[in-house]
Amino acid sequence: MTTCTGCSLLCEDIEVILENGRIKETRHACRRGAARFRGCRNRLIPSVDKNQTDIDTAIKKAADILKNAKSPMLFGWSNSTCEAQVKGIELTKKLNAAIDDTSSFCQGLLIERALQKKFRTCSLEDVRNKADVLVYWGSDPQDSQPRHLSRFSVFPRGESRQRGYEEDRLAIAIDVRESNTAKICKGHFYRIPLRGDREFILALMDALSGKVPKYDAKRILELAGVLKKAEFGVIFAGIGLTYSIKDDIDILIPLADMLPNFHIMPMVGHYNMRGFNEALFKETGFVNRVKFGDKPVHDNKYAIVEALKAKSIDALLVVGSDPISSLPRSVTSHLASIPVICIDPCVTLTSTIAEVTIPAAASGIESGGSAVRMDGKVIEISKVIENTYLSDVEIMTRLMEGL
Amino acid sequence: MPTVMELYQLLPKTNCKKCGESTCMAFSVAILGRKKKVSECTPILEESFKKQKEKLESLLLPSAGAEETGMIVHPELCTGCGNCVVACPVDVANDPHGAGIGCAPTNDKVIFKVVDGKVKAMNIKECRRFGKNRVLCYACIDPCPVGAIEFV
Amino acid sequence: MGMDIGKFLKSPEYEIKLTTCRDIFQAETLENDRFGDEYKKHSAAVLMGKDDLKKFGLKSGDRVRLINSYGTVVVEVRETKREEPGGLAFMVNSPWSNALVSDDTGGKGIPDFKSITAKISLTKDEITTIESLIFKK
Repeated sequence: MTTCTGCSLLCEDIEVILENGRIKETRHACRRGAARFRGCRNRLIPSVDKNQTDIDTAIKKAADILKNAKSPMLFGWSNSTCEAQVKGIELTKKLNAAIDDTSSFCQGLLIERALQKKFRTCSLEDVRNKADVLVYWGSDPQDSQPRHLSRFSVFPRGESRQRGYEEDRLAIAIDVRESNTAKICKGHFYRIPLRGDREFILALMDALSGKVPKYDAKRILELAGVLKKAEFGVIFAGIGLTYSIKDDIDILIPLADMLPNFHIMPMVGHYNMRGFNEALFKETGFVNRVKFGDKPVHDNKYAIVEALKAKSIDALLVVGSDPISSLPRSVTSHLASIPVICIDPCVTLTSTIAEVTIPAAASGIESGGSAVRMDGKVIEISKVIENTYLSDVEIMTRLMEGL
Repeated sequence: MPTVMELYQLLPKTNCKKCGESTCMAFSVAILGRKKKVSECTPILEESFKKQKEKLESLLLPSAGAEETGMIVHPELCTGCGNCVVACPVDVANDPHGAGIGCAPTNDKVIFKVVDGKVKAMNIKECRRFGKNRVLCYACIDPCPVGAIEFV
Repeated sequence: MGMDIGKFLKSPEYEIKLTTCRDIFQAETLENDRFGDEYKKHSAAVLMGKDDLKKFGLKSGDRVRLINSYGTVVVEVRETKREEPGGLAFMVNSPWSNALVSDDTGGKGIPDFKSITAKISLTKDEITTIESLIFKK
């Protein structure tokens, strides 16, 4: 049995069949997990200025670039083990540099509030054993965390939900389109307009406090009725919701207060994004966007997007991420003007323009460590096949030595 | 599978309550769920409702030939989400501490397993749609958003 | 002869609202090879409901140009898997959708990935390659 790193569910019940030191077949992992275990076609090779070299030369050059930069940033982290993330934070401190991760333009706002305990949250085991009302809000786990409904949230029999999905659970979806998840919630799919989440929340709060909502009264009153009766409700807050209410995310707090039996769980994509947020939070009290100096400073100007727009960084280390792929093209032009170092198992869009590329072992397959599941539980991941790649934590250690 | 509405359209729709249900709609739900039989609706046994009664009974018959033709799985549509594995009542009964609670199956007595990211069916004879006491079970079809499993 | 020459002269342009979504089949191809044809097939696409396709005079499989002040891409238009009422089109999150996202963040670091406005028109141009979406250095 091994753990899959395809998404932040970190399924620990995967069987891997090996043949001649390679993975021949996986069992129980979903389509994405199975693809993760198969690995990518184009492995990254060590290079400096696009010329292939040995890994020690590449690491030394990377250390030099970081050492000599005046305002470097270390970015990525959501596909690294906890051990590598902690080392990366240490490296950033030593360099008095800035650090940011993918949560900066993703679920950082929600995870921050979960860690600050601004709303009630729970574990996935709690969901399986106790939850009777599940709300997928701006979230489509059938595509992003495929075994969410089957392992935890809808289909299993749980300790207090022995009759499972047939009688003990109600699944509701709130979204702008009928996703695969919404299809399963048939009869309880609330279609809302793009960016209509805030209005929906306000109307719902009206209904919950006994007023008639000004908008879509019949549907909202019906939903409020269902939510009020929940014994153990969970709102799975997806990126669709976060992006829609990002300018006033704290509106979720009064909503949560009006639903005392409800818990909010941020839905996370990458397998260890939450791990980075928790490690940085433990160190500095912030989940992302930090510059180390005399003391750590948290500011929007240390967000990868803002730093690229302002052209305020003069070197970028990218660990297990592909900003040219994931960020709007309109904000990435500065990457063409600064040295970029890519640490990754695979060739990415960003690695094709990088000054230095350092191949890494694929975590959960070629190297082990620990990771934090979307609900905060720490899960071990393991090395499954013998290989000669350096793990992410080994690369971080060597970079520190090279300074 | 017939819908409640399809069954309702074939009933007298008088809400006479002779079957013990308060409305014909409630009776439709009851016969669909096998909690009541069509013959409990005494008005429908009259000659004028002969066609409707026959249609109702044929809609509620388990599909003929199920034991021969069986299940078709479309792996190219399957996402490997495991909903069918956990929802199947046979999997729950035969693997209560594995598939039953959402984990990977712990034995080979289950009908569904996910291999290389796609569902595979086995032990199909265990499926509730087959055999002497067959029922029209939809447990693997309703939880699948992509229609990867069908019965012919 | 019946050839609709009008179709190849300047095609009408319509303004559409776009949002992004996720798709497990696309994620599978990303794990395998982000420079490959399979990833391109799943990503360089815009999906809309039947009514919208009709309204814009498009059919599933046509190539369309999407353009706004932030960028432009040529992708394939397809019908959504399920019925969607008109007014909103969908792209799976990818470098193709990111080519159209605004750089306006109000200084807060989170772009409007899921709220894109663009003009759509039928085109004979080839589908935008992923290589052309990378800045040259």
